[in-house]
Amino acid sequence: MKPAASPPTDPARRAGSGGALADNEKWLGRVMMAPAILYIAALVGLPLLLALYYSVSNVTVGSAGWPSYVGLSNFRHAFGNPTFIRAVWNTIFFAVVSMAIVMVLGTILALSLLKDFRGKWFVRLLILLPWVAPISLGTIGWLWMFDSVYSVINWTAQYFGIFGKRTWPVWLGQPTLAMASVITVQVWRLLPLATVILLGGLSSIPKDIQEAALVDGASVLRRYVQITEPLMRPIALVALLFGLIFSFTDMIVIYVLTRGGPFDTTQVLATLAFFTGIDGGDLGGGAAIALFLLPVLAACVILILRFARKTEVT
Amino acid sequence: MAKRGFTRRDFLKGTGAGLAATGLGVPLLLPRKSYAAKKTLKILQWNHFVPAYDVWFNNTYVKEWGAKNNTEVIVDNIGLAGINARAAAEVGGQKGHDLFLFLAPPSAYETQVVDMKEVYQEVEKKHGKALPLAVHSTYNPKTKKYFAFSDSFVPDPINYRKDLWDGIGMYPDTWDDVRVGGRKIKEKYGIPVGIGMSAELDTAMAMRELMYSFGASVQDAQGNLILDSKQTLEAVKFAKALYQEAMTPEVLSWDPSSNNRAMLAGKVSLVLNAISVTRQAETDKMPIGKDIWLAKAAKGPVRRMGTEHVMNCYVVWKFAQNVDGAKKFLVDYINAFRGAFLASEFYNFPCFPKTVPDLQKLISNDPRATPPNKYAVLSDVLDWATNVGYPGYASAAIDETFNTWVINTMFAKAATNTSTPEAAIKEATAKCRQIWAKWKEKGLI
Repeated sequence: MKPAASPPTDPARRAGSGGALADNEKWLGRVMMAPAILYIAALVGLPLLLALYYSVSNVTVGSAGWPSYVGLSNFRHAFGNPTFIRAVWNTIFFAVVSMAIVMVLGTILALSLLKDFRGKWFVRLLILLPWVAPISLGTIGWLWMFDSVYSVINWTAQYFGIFGKRTWPVWLGQPTLAMASVITVQVWRLLPLATVILLGGLSSIPKDIQEAALVDGASVLRRYVQITEPLMRPIALVALLFGLIFSFTDMIVIYVLTRGGPFDTTQVLATLAFFTGIDGGDLGGGAAIALFLLPVLAACVILILRFARKTEVT
Repeated sequence: MAKRGFTRRDFLKGTGAGLAATGLGVPLLLPRKSYAAKKTLKILQWNHFVPAYDVWFNNTYVKEWGAKNNTEVIVDNIGLAGINARAAAEVGGQKGHDLFLFLAPPSAYETQVVDMKEVYQEVEKKHGKALPLAVHSTYNPKTKKYFAFSDSFVPDPINYRKDLWDGIGMYPDTWDDVRVGGRKIKEKYGIPVGIGMSAELDTAMAMRELMYSFGASVQDAQGNLILDSKQTLEAVKFAKALYQEAMTPEVLSWDPSSNNRAMLAGKVSLVLNAISVTRQAETDKMPIGKDIWLAKAAKGPVRRMGTEHVMNCYVVWKFAQNVDGAKKFLVDYINAFRGAFLASEFYNFPCFPKTVPDLQKLISNDPRATPPNKYAVLSDVLDWATNVGYPGYASAAIDETFNTWVINTMFAKAATNTSTPEAAIKEATAKCRQIWAKWKEKGLI
């Protein structure tokens, strides 16, 4: 006679049956994580690997079969192109200046929104709108505001006498104004995210610390420098990191407003990669341009995250 | 027994049941569609600048053709700016439409498309030879392959304000007239010339027209790079003078529709564009329409030479599901091209002129135009229109040079004194050399 089977007690063994999966922390965790990991691997990891391979291959938009390995020749070609060098500097300038402005304005807005005032919800809604609206649509709105014929900015400024009758700035047609315009739109676009992140950080600072400092007679500036800013730093670095990555890698604002013009003065790596790879047909060259900043960005991310961890208050 | 709450087990069970109902259950409940013998032909093309063309093509012509050929024809229209990205995606996925319309020669896709020689031969049997312009835009002499089929092109005449030009007693016949007359109008009326100098299609065409008229070219008839020449230098110096005397920085910021808007707003005295400007004025019944007239491409020191403004190039992917249907569609479409010419309101000119035998008569008396013979100036367009890449063929190198705006940037840098004309040409030539070397290595030029 066969002995009666004893009920499984080991969670790992019980995981074999579907019903028991829910009670097995180890396996359930893996199963729940699997879709996210698969998603990242399929939609981020594989394209990145493909782009890495493309950048060292002779692939074009019309390539048939598996492209040949060409070493670093796409990168060498890029370095020989003055537009590429210009695009590298433009990318850095565009991202750094945009984020500097975003962080200053974001902090001011977050501090303002921390206070209670009438109509606060409406102000929050207005601030969030640029983030909610599709970027391309919002940028097309700006395109009209900067239009050389119909610029609302120019018409309004003339109406109120800010501009003289003969003053009509061509916002997207003069190098300095064009760069200022694309930075303005990038700031408009990134400000809501930074503000929300910073507001979250500010809200998490225990009120008793601020109150104790207030009781001790600390001024507003001193409270900000010695309490708010140090406690905010880890979260501020996250906002900065997100913003920098968005600015380094995004092409929509510049593609819609200037297409890199006038004469490449707002050309950034993302737009140049698109023009070279998709419109120009040289996918390998486009991939090399697009990936040029990858090591720099990866280093930035590691540095900022390390710094954020060091400054984290526990 | 105490009532327990919603547990993780309940959640998993519920989710699983939901997935089964929505994802897996549906195929069990609903029977699969049965596939009929009817064929399918999928076409992708742009949202035509003249909406009436899409109405005729999508709702009339395609439906009639589908009924006659027992084929369900699906037409997808997308914006002009999305065409290249869409093509790259279809090739990347090896899946997509059977017929794909490019608006410029798609030379880089040569290895992914079927040879259209057969289609040209079939059409030529009935309608005679295709225009050299069409052949130069769709044939690769190096590989001896027709990588596309061109049904039509769009002329690129001068659009000018007759009232303003009459006001100074001039007519924009030559490039020198454009510069001198443009300057006079700017001085007298404060209205500049509006020829783009930015990273966009209309500028790319205008600058090439200027070069060709001055005897300059990016390549020679054999496809060799000859950008750095005396003629190019003359053309660039002229563009600099034209910009500084008769234009304003606004042309540096333009997109392809900016010159339309500027002309219709009365802000410029002359633009180079398709007939979209005048057509829009007529459609919207704008009073300024009667003052906007057309002229042939301007004559330069060497010749009078313009370019096509848009070159229709249909390709059939090698991975298309209905290659034969796509080829037959094109042959039949050319047979019916007169309808397309009318539906496009004279925007699409035939690459097989015999398909519209009464073209001269039609454009000489258009009831919508003021005066009715406004479009008659296009009657000899074939004498002064050519392809991008003239005097050679439109190659992958020409395509990349065009789409990365190398020539536009060269002119803009010299015009704004950012570079000397010589330095701007040297820089553009260096970029072109790289492009040429790359495509030569790939065996396409």
